[in-house]
Amino acid sequence: MTEEVADRPDGPPPELRFRRRVGFRSALRDLWRARELIRSLTERQLRARYKQAALGLAWAVITPLVYMVVFTLFFSRVADVDTGGAPYALFSYIALLPWTFFSTGVSQAALSLVSNMSLLNKVSCPREVFPLSSVAGAGIDTAIATLVLGVLFIVTGYAPRATSYWVPVLVVIGVVFTTAVSLVMAVLTVYLRDLRHVLPIFLQVGLFATPVAYGIEVVPADLRGLYSALNPIAPVIDGLRRCVLEGQAPRTGLVVIGAVSSLVQLIAGYRLFKRLETGIADVA
Amino acid sequence: MSPRGTVAAHHLWKRFRPDRGRSLLRDEIERLRTHGPRKSWTWALRDVDFEIAPGGSFAFVGSNGSGKSTLLKILTQVMYPYAGSIEAVGRVGALIEVASGIHPDLTGRENCYLYGSLLGLHRGRVAAQFDEIVAFAELEDAIDRQVKYYSSGMKMRLGFGVAAFLEPDVLLVDEVLAVGDATFQQRCLDRMRQVVAQGTTLVYVSHDLATVEAMCSNALWLKKGVVQEMGSSADVLTGYRRWIEEGAETSSSMDGRIRVMKASVSGVDGQAVTTGEPACIEVHLQAPEPCAGTLQLGISQGPASPLFLLKHAVELEGADLAVRCDVATLPFAGGRYYLWLGVFGEQGQDITPWQPAAHFQIVGQPLDEAPVGIVRLAPLQIEADWSIQER
Repeated sequence: MTEEVADRPDGPPPELRFRRRVGFRSALRDLWRARELIRSLTERQLRARYKQAALGLAWAVITPLVYMVVFTLFFSRVADVDTGGAPYALFSYIALLPWTFFSTGVSQAALSLVSNMSLLNKVSCPREVFPLSSVAGAGIDTAIATLVLGVLFIVTGYAPRATSYWVPVLVVIGVVFTTAVSLVMAVLTVYLRDLRHVLPIFLQVGLFATPVAYGIEVVPADLRGLYSALNPIAPVIDGLRRCVLEGQAPRTGLVVIGAVSSLVQLIAGYRLFKRLETGIADVA
Repeated sequence: MSPRGTVAAHHLWKRFRPDRGRSLLRDEIERLRTHGPRKSWTWALRDVDFEIAPGGSFAFVGSNGSGKSTLLKILTQVMYPYAGSIEAVGRVGALIEVASGIHPDLTGRENCYLYGSLLGLHRGRVAAQFDEIVAFAELEDAIDRQVKYYSSGMKMRLGFGVAAFLEPDVLLVDEVLAVGDATFQQRCLDRMRQVVAQGTTLVYVSHDLATVEAMCSNALWLKKGVVQEMGSSADVLTGYRRWIEEGAETSSSMDGRIRVMKASVSGVDGQAVTTGEPACIEVHLQAPEPCAGTLQLGISQGPASPLFLLKHAVELEGADLAVRCDVATLPFAGGRYYLWLGVFGEQGQDITPWQPAAHFQIVGQPLDEAPVGIVRLAPLQIEADWSIQER
């Protein structure tokens, strides 16, 4: 069967080139239509995860709890951390919540497209539903882990302050930033499969580059703005500590920088995702 | 905008990198460092153009690697073309792979809903059809079991049930029926026929040409990504079968310990072969060394599986052998047929491998048409007298 197929030009005429135009608004509209799917995928992910694991839902709590214990036992003794009067356990646990959310969200999102290739190859849907459902799953884990924070307050006899009403603002910034990184990592891992080995190292370094075990005061004051722009989790953590533990409003400057940076990264990340999305099935 | 259920492709082009198995950061860094060239591309689809009206039934045929599945993936909008455009109006229900992309850790029930939401359906819609799907897939006892404990047939049944019952506007079926047993295959064909009758557009891909003939009124033959022929499925399949047979002729080695020098099928007194009339098969055999075996003759419509077989012992001791086999009647409908033959030893080992040796035309009436969705296995022309009386 080596005979030549019918005469055809070597390629299509350039005016026929397929250009996929994804408008921001139409993409969001498609995403809204797929909300049921995000819910199903999140549910599926949580079910599949907790059905297999022996300790079930407890896993959501164990990661931040173990880090908290380790930090409390070792880090707080070696380095003299200024907790602003709060017990160190609370000081680190309240920071571990947004950090664990970020790190589980991103690491699961990074694999979300690669591990769902069989689905991606079969049904068309907005591809971002996969990383988004990973982020949603991490959110539910974090909500469960937050219950432990309540227990810690009771155990330490330290009450959350009235300024806690700032929390929702900080949560939004954390979610926006996590989503941005998740989208980018998910789509890049499809094209560069070995990124999945790089990511855990990156996240491990991130844990120490983020003021989780220590306060943001460690960073020189004039660098804090840049630092918050690069890592919006930092002003979120600092804000949480200030409003929940210390009874002060978050540092407005840093929070604004973090919010703007997260939003810019989300928009850029979503655009990149939509752009690279077109070729996902080709490399599957 | 075209009505719901329209499927069309306009000048579709698609290309791939042949070694798309690897995509690593490591390779990219290496490429940047050495300024190596980017890998070259090969075309998977070249200028494919067709249009299917709503409610039509259309088949893609072609050998492996001809681009059928790529075309289907582009139609589902899972993949995007390099050039050209497609149109698939309405909800597309696709059944592309047997594994169905259904999640193994979830139960059949959960997978049903998950697949429903992938198709953009709300839970209520899936729930309304749920019992029907389960009954169709015969999974009443297994629906709450994890899908990883399903047999491949069960997975296929679940996948087909979900895709076919959730009332898509376009149903794409890609070579999945092969896993089901015969009864279920027929039920799938029945279901596909019902779905088409309700106005759904069917796009069917299969190597089982008999089912293609039964299901689809139109067909498209892809060869190396190029549309070779498009039209009514009877015409396209005739051409495609002929091509398969010719490919088999050139690819199979005529070499065996017994060589076939000449083979022919003719009618009475060397005339054309006619339906229902006697025919004569003549084979000329030659062997360098003495050798004995059983000569098997078969008539087929193209592929290697014959419609019937005839066998006779042959023994070659130096001299050539002229074998003549008179057949009392060849009850086949008019069309093109192929003579396949082979010589086999006592344990069934190849002396001359099974190969097409000649093709011939049978002159006669075409067959009565089968109803849609009914697979006719052989083109037998049976004489019949009808009598119908009013009582």
